[in-house]
Amino acid sequence: MYLSGYYEFCCRVKMIAGHDALEKIPGALAQLHAGRPLIITDKGVSGAGLVDTVVDAIKDGIDIGAMADDVPQDSSVKVVNHLADVYRDNNCDSIVAVGGGSVMDTAKGVNIVVSENADDLMKFSGVGVLKKALKPLLVIPTTSGTGSEVTLAAVIKDHERHLKMAFASYFLLPDVAILDSRMTLTLPPFLTASTAMDAMAHAVEAYTGLAKNPMSDANAIAAISLISSNLLNVIKTPSDREGRLALANGATLAGAAFSNSLVGVVHALGHATGSVCGVPHGVCMSILLPYGLEYNMHKRAHFTGELLLPLAGAEVYVGTPKHLRAEGTVAYIRKMNQNMHDATDGRHARFFEEVKDRDGRRMVPREKLEDIAEAALDDGSIVYNPEECDYEDFLMIIRAAWEGAPLDRSLIKGV
Amino acid sequence: MDDFKEITAGNKPFKKAYVAIMLWFVGRAIQAAARVDKDVKKEFEKLPDGFTFCLGVLPRGPYMIVGKNEKGRVKYMGWKPDGKRIDLDMKIKNIEAAILMFTFQESTAAASARNRMIVDGEVPYVCAIVRVLDIGEVYLLPKFIARLAVKRYPAWSFGRKYIGRVRIYFRSILGY
Amino acid sequence: MFFPDNYEFYCPVKINSGNRALEHLPVELDALNARKPFIITDKEIAKKGLIKKITGAFKDSGITLGIFDGVPPVPDLKLVRRLMNNYRDTGCDSIIAAGGGAVVDTAKALNIVVSGRPEDLKESAGEDLIKSPLGPFVFVPTASGTGFETSRFATLGGLSFSSHFLMPDLVVIDPRMVTSENADAVVSTAMIALAHSAQSYTCPAKNPMTDTYAYAAMQFVGENLANVVRSGDKKGRLALANAATMAGIAFSNSPRGMVHDLGWAAGDISGLPHGICMGILLPYVLEYNIDSEGYHMSDMLLPIAGFEIYAGTAKNLKARKAINFIYDMQHEIHDITRGNIPLTLKDAGISKDALDGVARAAVGEGRLGFNLDDCMVILEHAWEGKQITSS
Repeated sequence: MYLSGYYEFCCRVKMIAGHDALEKIPGALAQLHAGRPLIITDKGVSGAGLVDTVVDAIKDGIDIGAMADDVPQDSSVKVVNHLADVYRDNNCDSIVAVGGGSVMDTAKGVNIVVSENADDLMKFSGVGVLKKALKPLLVIPTTSGTGSEVTLAAVIKDHERHLKMAFASYFLLPDVAILDSRMTLTLPPFLTASTAMDAMAHAVEAYTGLAKNPMSDANAIAAISLISSNLLNVIKTPSDREGRLALANGATLAGAAFSNSLVGVVHALGHATGSVCGVPHGVCMSILLPYGLEYNMHKRAHFTGELLLPLAGAEVYVGTPKHLRAEGTVAYIRKMNQNMHDATDGRHARFFEEVKDRDGRRMVPREKLEDIAEAALDDGSIVYNPEECDYEDFLMIIRAAWEGAPLDRSLIKGV
Repeated sequence: MDDFKEITAGNKPFKKAYVAIMLWFVGRAIQAAARVDKDVKKEFEKLPDGFTFCLGVLPRGPYMIVGKNEKGRVKYMGWKPDGKRIDLDMKIKNIEAAILMFTFQESTAAASARNRMIVDGEVPYVCAIVRVLDIGEVYLLPKFIARLAVKRYPAWSFGRKYIGRVRIYFRSILGY
Repeated sequence: MFFPDNYEFYCPVKINSGNRALEHLPVELDALNARKPFIITDKEIAKKGLIKKITGAFKDSGITLGIFDGVPPVPDLKLVRRLMNNYRDTGCDSIIAAGGGAVVDTAKALNIVVSGRPEDLKESAGEDLIKSPLGPFVFVPTASGTGFETSRFATLGGLSFSSHFLMPDLVVIDPRMVTSENADAVVSTAMIALAHSAQSYTCPAKNPMTDTYAYAAMQFVGENLANVVRSGDKKGRLALANAATMAGIAFSNSPRGMVHDLGWAAGDISGLPHGICMGILLPYVLEYNIDSEGYHMSDMLLPIAGFEIYAGTAKNLKARKAINFIYDMQHEIHDITRGNIPLTLKDAGISKDALDGVARAAVGEGRLGFNLDDCMVILEHAWEGKQITSS
């Protein structure tokens, strides 16, 4: 048991999970004294028929106030204000968000505008500005990865003023998160792989990070165990409903862990690689996770070693000598990546050199690695990483992750 | 109802005074380090001119403000945030948490990890200032304390560390 | 790892635990939009100087506090009405309950009336009859408790309440508030936590969210209880207070179960702390259910005994090992306290003839699928201290 000198933990979101969880939405809204939601989603989600599934499940129980399926990839103030107008024009009293991270961020922004009657969202950016409960917000994630359904932050861009506004408040937490196996059933295997590894990275970094605490640890252990024991099966048998629901649960548990304990070097470099080269977040996470663990290992060998139990199970754990468990954890995650690579006909990338875009072009040119290392210095996750990270450290890690060679730990400063 | 009473909690003047002195010193030391140390200089070069940073204690101080003036010079700008536009606002949640930090029982990283601070501002600014504070601690504190305050004690040359330390102490006290 | 096809889970509680946790109260109240808290406690706690620690945390904040330190062991509705007047007359807008049991019940009842109308108290008694969030409510645990503090339950003046709106918004666990106490109170409080969390973790209705809270609670008790009883270990004491908080949350989202009902009835009849009785009964109830389908007892070995023992125990022996771990822990505590903490119901001073009454009282609660015969088997074994050899 690890009990830090001081910690805070809070996960105030009501969870409703199951194969028919969607049908419980009208009841959940009624408990919040609401019954006329604005449904917010994006074209990808509605194109996949997922919104129809939601509508079918709830239309007998409530009036749907309005439907907006035009949230772009990047949430922006303009979209938020437009959706707030839709909300008001249709006398809605609650919001149901169906989708991934940007849909949820947009929905959180809309909720601020309609609850606070804000003409300028900017006034509410920052920490601790919101002082009272907002309108009821239900979220239905359509990937098992980001954990946004249980996080209290939202990022919204103002393209005209070139601003990226960050919002953080317990009042931004959704009231209810609905996990329904139908929502992820059609997610293609390679996306299932990378999004699940996003969740895995949340849990692993929360468990090995500076802000770890007993509650985030319990969430992380459960998340890792669920993801590890189901991921490959689901990739091979995408219609596995039980496995899908397990991954959805795992992602939410991982979200609860990292929203309370935060993340480290894996995310710092992952965000940087995403913004410099446009590599999808989950892909960055799967590739970088073993490297982050190697980089921190001299400070976190014990915690990293413990993760071998939820990852690989009791037999492997007990069969691995104590001093080799941390390396065993790293090797196990590499093996997971390899297995997923094989099971997706090579679409799940193991290192950055083999990451390709839709047209088959290499996304991360070697000459961009310096830019990535530079960008990572500006990422807030480094504050919570156990070991210091400077430009040279980042460059060393990203070079190894580009080539796919294990990190040469003898080169880490201070080892 | 003799079992019911109302009380107004008092004050902690001594702890506040201690933290105020520490903040004053840290502010002047940052100004000095920006002239003396190449890494601190570099961090501030990346920040925009007119950038201001406030470190303080909730709910009513003490505070210290450091910023870059229009000419790009790093200055300690006093202890009153009133009326100043603050780009990066780091507030320690209470005076006891500030005492833990300024008696070096909790490092900046630990205090952040333990949710002892409320930080408002652009994330890259936060990263830069955290690095500046870490470098400052290495200069100001003896190694056995600074080792607890930073994640990795840097391998600096003798000149950078000891001559730098003397120059920064000297400048902080004289305030130039 | 097991998880069910369907579940719902809700926990509004934020936990702040550790060094100088109390000092974060002004910021936390501000985040809850509260300016003037009403502190509720009892004379015992006030006498120990613990309320000064709370008020001290508000120094420099400029906040004025209302304090009531006269909660009696058995509070009534009249008291709640009196407190409501104090609360309203002085313009309070939030509640801080410091203590356990009666103090927290009073605070929860007060929160119902100040958040609505006085007559709401009777109308709100029952299952899920509170329909909207109540005012900001903070709970500061002290040494001992009933295990209901962080839960959705409250009882007062013959009324029972159950609603997740009764759970605290914030639990502040500060080592200065949970220090010295006699072994009885420590063991009782920890055993309620262990019983509630073990039940929640092994019951057929378990889900991944309750599991995380139960997991943390069991881990804390398994690792620390004996140490705390032996040496008053400070960090362990803090861990046990954490356990009580988390077990209450798990308990709020799970059926009550046999250990709780039997232990409660045995406590009522014997006059012993309920937790001591639950502790005695816990391993026997687990043993009795060891072969039942749906009981996830082998999973329990991980939190209670730790990574090494869990991984090193063969699959088919894990459940038995977990039960034996609890037996061993209890023997250790029994020895440390020189027999002061009883191992059997007999040593606890319950006569064999009284067992029938205990069983009837527990079954009378009528909550779960267990009958009088089940109860009697468990009680008789626990009375004598004879393990139930499962077939």
